[in-house]
Amino acid sequence: MSGRGRAAACAALGLALALVLGADCARAEGTVRSEVDQRRVGVRDQVQLTVTVESSSLPDQVPPPLLVDLRVVGGPAVSTQMSFINGRTSQSRSWTWMLQPIAVGRAQVGAVQVTLGGTTTGAPAIPIEVVAGSVAPPRQAQRSIDPFGSNPFEDMFGRARPRETRVLVEAKPSRTHLFVGEPLLLTYYLYTQASVSGLQFAEVPQFAGFWAEDLTLARQQGGEPATVDGVEYRRFPVFSKLLFPTRAGRITIPPATLRIGVAAQTFFDQGFEVTRTTEPVTVEVKPIPETSGYSGAVGHFTASAAIDHPTVALGEAATLRFKVEGRGNLKWVDRGPELNVSGAKVYPPQVKSDLHTGPTGISGSRTWEFVVVPQTVGALEIPALAFSYFDPSTERIVEAKTTPIPLRVGGGGVASAVAPAPTSTPGGARGGPLRLRTDLGSTAPRTDLPGAVVEFAAVAALLLHGLLWGGGRLAAMLARPGARPAPRGGRGSMRDLERVGREPMTKEAAALLIEKALHAAFGSLDGGDGERARAVRALLEDVQAVRYAPQLGDYSERLRELATRTAELVRKWA
Amino acid sequence: MIAAIRRLGRSLIAVGAGLALASGASQAKPPVERFHAAVERARAGDYLGASALFDSLAQAGFETSALDWNRAQVADAQGAAGAALWALLRARELDPGDVAVAREIDRVREGANLDRAELAPDPLAAVARASRQFGLGLVACALLALSLLAHAALKWRPDTRPLGTVAWIALALGLSLAVVPVAGAFARPTGVVVRRGAPLLDAASPTAEGVGTLREGEVVPILAASGAYVRVEDSSGVRGWALAHDVRDLVGAPRRPS
Repeated sequence: MSGRGRAAACAALGLALALVLGADCARAEGTVRSEVDQRRVGVRDQVQLTVTVESSSLPDQVPPPLLVDLRVVGGPAVSTQMSFINGRTSQSRSWTWMLQPIAVGRAQVGAVQVTLGGTTTGAPAIPIEVVAGSVAPPRQAQRSIDPFGSNPFEDMFGRARPRETRVLVEAKPSRTHLFVGEPLLLTYYLYTQASVSGLQFAEVPQFAGFWAEDLTLARQQGGEPATVDGVEYRRFPVFSKLLFPTRAGRITIPPATLRIGVAAQTFFDQGFEVTRTTEPVTVEVKPIPETSGYSGAVGHFTASAAIDHPTVALGEAATLRFKVEGRGNLKWVDRGPELNVSGAKVYPPQVKSDLHTGPTGISGSRTWEFVVVPQTVGALEIPALAFSYFDPSTERIVEAKTTPIPLRVGGGGVASAVAPAPTSTPGGARGGPLRLRTDLGSTAPRTDLPGAVVEFAAVAALLLHGLLWGGGRLAAMLARPGARPAPRGGRGSMRDLERVGREPMTKEAAALLIEKALHAAFGSLDGGDGERARAVRALLEDVQAVRYAPQLGDYSERLRELATRTAELVRKWA
Repeated sequence: MIAAIRRLGRSLIAVGAGLALASGASQAKPPVERFHAAVERARAGDYLGASALFDSLAQAGFETSALDWNRAQVADAQGAAGAALWALLRARELDPGDVAVAREIDRVREGANLDRAELAPDPLAAVARASRQFGLGLVACALLALSLLAHAALKWRPDTRPLGTVAWIALALGLSLAVVPVAGAFARPTGVVVRRGAPLLDAASPTAEGVGTLREGEVVPILAASGAYVRVEDSSGVRGWALAHDVRDLVGAPRRPS
């Protein structure tokens, strides 16, 4: 109820009363409709979303659909309709929300899924186009949607004469003097002498100062006889609420106005609608005396505690269940008792409820489950737990207490080193011995280098490698501007030299090959006077001597020797 | 007259020196003793006193993995899951190879209902941590130096062919390893939310409006800082400003507790 009670409150409830014959042909399954009043709206407009469920058994609530770029600004307003057509009963309930677009673009009302009698039925999603500004026309006064509210012949023949109707409504509280937190049953009754085809609240009933719980009315065929001011009626309960005052003092429930559709009573009659208003209801609410540690519960309760494992191994957990059972406003009470167990770690509890709402109040139980993790071996004791509540019959605060529960902890295995923490428990280990380190450790600076330093070192290493590899050549080029650097031909020169003496060729061609190899490996040696330059120049002179010498004999041995010398020079210097 | 002024000056200097010595005496206790005193206080249940001592040690430059471990235990005992996670993550930064710290981080994280990814918003931070754990920066620099030495020796002795091979292999390995610390250096600074329900604001101003709340213990990248505010991005991608003392940074000098 909390959700519904928080909403704009229940709106119109319609209940057609079965004053006609006919069996209730209830349908096993139902239908769900999701509708909006407009699919193209301005960002400043509002959209009305209505979810309607038609079924023989209507749900108390439907899950609100997922909204995309829309937000709820009002609702849900709930209305229930019941109709009888050809002896067949049909009923529907509608939930209406007012939605406000958040941004221009495409918004969407998500699909609706409702479970009816074990079968899930749904309505598809509805896309909505949101444009800038406002596109809604100025609202006109709404005409009644009740088919009995207008007469198509009125304009032609003038308004029909008013009929005399004997229909009354009454709001009746179960009591008018009570304490804060005590239940009050408020029932709206319909007294009628005619067949009623529809009933709706004209205004949403307000229950300011109360926590309100919905109640499902038992279907009552034919109503019950009642006499008001000497006139006999049939009385039908049409709507009831279980109210819990939240503050002391005189609280008035304002009058509620209902629109009642009266069914056709003759063949030529079309039926009509009347409006009736209840009297305001005033109740006197007495305060509860201030007491420290009071839980806020009002009613009659008993408390009990039980542990799932009276003996556990160290490192294992036991679960303590503290249960409060009885009749009263237990739904309000969230705070459980404080539990501290010496020698054990206690985690915040999980709360489980099994509560039922009836005309006389809320009954059932609420259970707080504590996870207790022993920290030491031996006999522990879970102390007595108390639950304080206000007993309206004795008009005083009563404390329900449990008895202490022993917990025996045996020696554990490896698990005792680290107690397992339940995943649902926020926070870390609380209480118990801390696992502290006693050695401060080394405060020496980190041994690793920062990334920027490593980056600089890598770049520097690459540059230095480049300098080592090409520095000699660069230095030679810089030393003699214009001089051509030695070509990179060491391997090619060696291959040329290997051809000398292996392939048949003239001495001029062979000498030329050797000469080219020398030039390829060492480049121009003009001006050089180092050891390398002198050796190369001497070899070059010998090669040229063979190249230009007259052909007076076989020079093949001499050429092989020159090729070998050249190869050695290339290996050594190039 | 001048002599009197000089005497007064000497007296003032003497008094100042005395005060400085007196104040230093309280800090003069060896850090190990102060650490043990903090541990004893924590064991006795004086969590606030223990925290103050641990913080003062960290401020004085004696922050170690053990100190941060103890800070985490004390914070956890106080129910401050965010501060406990912050201390543990700092301990991991200081000693990435500490397996107990990694286990404790998992325990506190699960207790705080945080996803593993919510503690690691920047993968490069893990790369940087791995580099620190294995000293990859130092190893890379050593290999690069070795390759340079081998290359230089090859120039000096051209007929020693293995030197060339050594130079090439060392250079390739050094460059490969250098990638890790260099990539880690690009990790964004991160911080841990140490306050439950810390507000995320739309501006760095006392009059800013809240745009959401940060989860206690969540690690968030710190995008910018402005006065007493830091600009952060939460795990859902929402950016905003948070109070600097609600988000403690994970790397850098320890911040003096406010």
